[in-house]
Amino acid sequence: MNDIKKKKTRLDRSFDKIRAREEAGLLKQSKMNRQLRKILNNRLAVGGFVIFSLILLASIFAPLICQYDPLAIDLKAVLQAPSADHILGTDRVGRDVFARIVYGGRISILVGLGSALGAALVGVSLGCYAGYKGGLIDGLFLRLSEIFMAFPQIILVLLLVSILGQSLINLIVIFIITGWGPMYRMTRARMLSLREEEYVQALKAFGLGTATITYKHILPNALGPVMVNITLSTAMFILQEAALSFLGLGVPLNIATWGNILNAAQELRILQESWWMWLPVGIVISLFVLSVNFIGDGLRDSTDPSQQG
Amino acid sequence: MLSYTIRRLMILVPMLIIISFFIYGGLELMPGDAVSYMINPEAAAELSPEKLDALRDSLGLNDPFIVRYAIWFKGVLKGDFGYSLSSGVPIRDIVFDRLPATLELSFIALILSSLFGSLLGFLSAIRKGSIADHSLTVIGMIGVSIPQFFFGLVAILIFALKLHWLPVGGRLMPEYVTYWDRFPHLVMPSLVLAATMTAGVMRYSRSSMLDSLNKDYIKTARSKGLPEWRVNLVHGFRVALTPVVVLVGFRLPTLIGGAVVIEQIFQWPGIGNEFITAVRGQNFPLVMMIALFSVTAVLIASFLVDLLTAVLDPRVKLS
Repeated sequence: MNDIKKKKTRLDRSFDKIRAREEAGLLKQSKMNRQLRKILNNRLAVGGFVIFSLILLASIFAPLICQYDPLAIDLKAVLQAPSADHILGTDRVGRDVFARIVYGGRISILVGLGSALGAALVGVSLGCYAGYKGGLIDGLFLRLSEIFMAFPQIILVLLLVSILGQSLINLIVIFIITGWGPMYRMTRARMLSLREEEYVQALKAFGLGTATITYKHILPNALGPVMVNITLSTAMFILQEAALSFLGLGVPLNIATWGNILNAAQELRILQESWWMWLPVGIVISLFVLSVNFIGDGLRDSTDPSQQG
Repeated sequence: MLSYTIRRLMILVPMLIIISFFIYGGLELMPGDAVSYMINPEAAAELSPEKLDALRDSLGLNDPFIVRYAIWFKGVLKGDFGYSLSSGVPIRDIVFDRLPATLELSFIALILSSLFGSLLGFLSAIRKGSIADHSLTVIGMIGVSIPQFFFGLVAILIFALKLHWLPVGGRLMPEYVTYWDRFPHLVMPSLVLAATMTAGVMRYSRSSMLDSLNKDYIKTARSKGLPEWRVNLVHGFRVALTPVVVLVGFRLPTLIGGAVVIEQIFQWPGIGNEFITAVRGQNFPLVMMIALFSVTAVLIASFLVDLLTAVLDPRVKLS
């Protein structure tokens, strides 16, 4: 064990620095939120946030940065390679690929974020109540979530697509149906431990109603993991939307989404000869999902120290 | 052990029944005549309307829902999955025809990803905080962020279309050629599938190994004066491996459905490919039965994994 003395890790050194500054009275009392400070120190999370905001802002302000309509067909400019006119070329019916990527981001991000928020809303509100109350309702929802989670995710999604039919709203609904289970179980598990806390006993003694206790007083203490979960599910749903649309089973093809743009690459000729139609959008999806994952990981490290490895 | 097995079965069996109930409900809700998938469509086409009605009666289609469900469920237990709407082939034949292809792909991907994933996770954990650890973490993150199909497309472009090293897709049937002839077709789909799965295993085995390295038996091993590699490998890794093995075991059945996208890209004639075709063609009976089949596989496998964990770690039984 003698290597403990001679080896000073990166963490030891930074700790020494902090101690030295503290002794010198230089350490200023930070007013910033501790969790916010922690996440700002995480370089990957900050980098992720920058990429995330860039792509998000680009799709929000799409009309300002694109000179073409993503749906405008121009049969005089079909399958053109990137040029000054069309930065990322045109597709098989002459639509500007760059405009389609930027506008497609709107739908893809909407599907990802909307589904994650929807799943969280359903899962967390059910989990809060059932976890606090326990008993029959809890057992019922627990079994129900187990049933949904037993299916391989993509099989369940495709099964529901074939039942409900293909549309943008249906896709979000389907993602919520498949995604609420893990949220429910996580919130419920948090509630089971939080409901034994003393402040909950005190609130109960004051005669507050169940809804007030659970949603107003306990829920804020369980929000950390929920936020992490929303971020990570957003990434997952964006990947799933892309995969489904790529297969032609997600968002209807007349709407531009990242997956729908990639759909063209199923044709080998396009794959080989027209790289601009699928490579840039694939990179954009990967970058966006990566940035969301980095943010999610940073959030987890800042809210839940036990997960730090 | 017996009481634990029974307790687990008490969860498994009702769940299977409820799921099959939902699946049957879905089948009933589907547009179209139920007769069309309960008997061979070719035979059905030759029947007159009166005979069809008599048939419907004899098949019990005019009975109450619960009775119809019970009849259908009995059929499923006997292996009668009904008929595909598009081809008229019994669904059971389709499933068992396609299963070997999917299993072949999944097994290889599972073995490769568990091997590399647990090894990399292990290295990452013993060099915790090093540059290697950080870069492996970031690479793993990139691995789970790239869409599987995009990864596959890039692989096809490079290795099949540009370099011409490997075929674009498809699978040669084992009856006609030797294994070595078939091998090139297998390389790309299995490697792409394995690569996307490795990241998950790596993360899991890293945290499992870190957990194991913090335990008292590691201190004991060190204080015995064992060399560091022995401490890590024999004492740390072995214990850390158990949860990883459990994870891997649990993954196999999900792969029956999990390779859907990869099978589609590489035109691999497995169950996932068939499933996509069925969803596209609104072939509801086939969609439902493949879903039921894959969910049953998952549940039975998780039941077996639970039993295995209980054998390996007796503490589990008490919870």
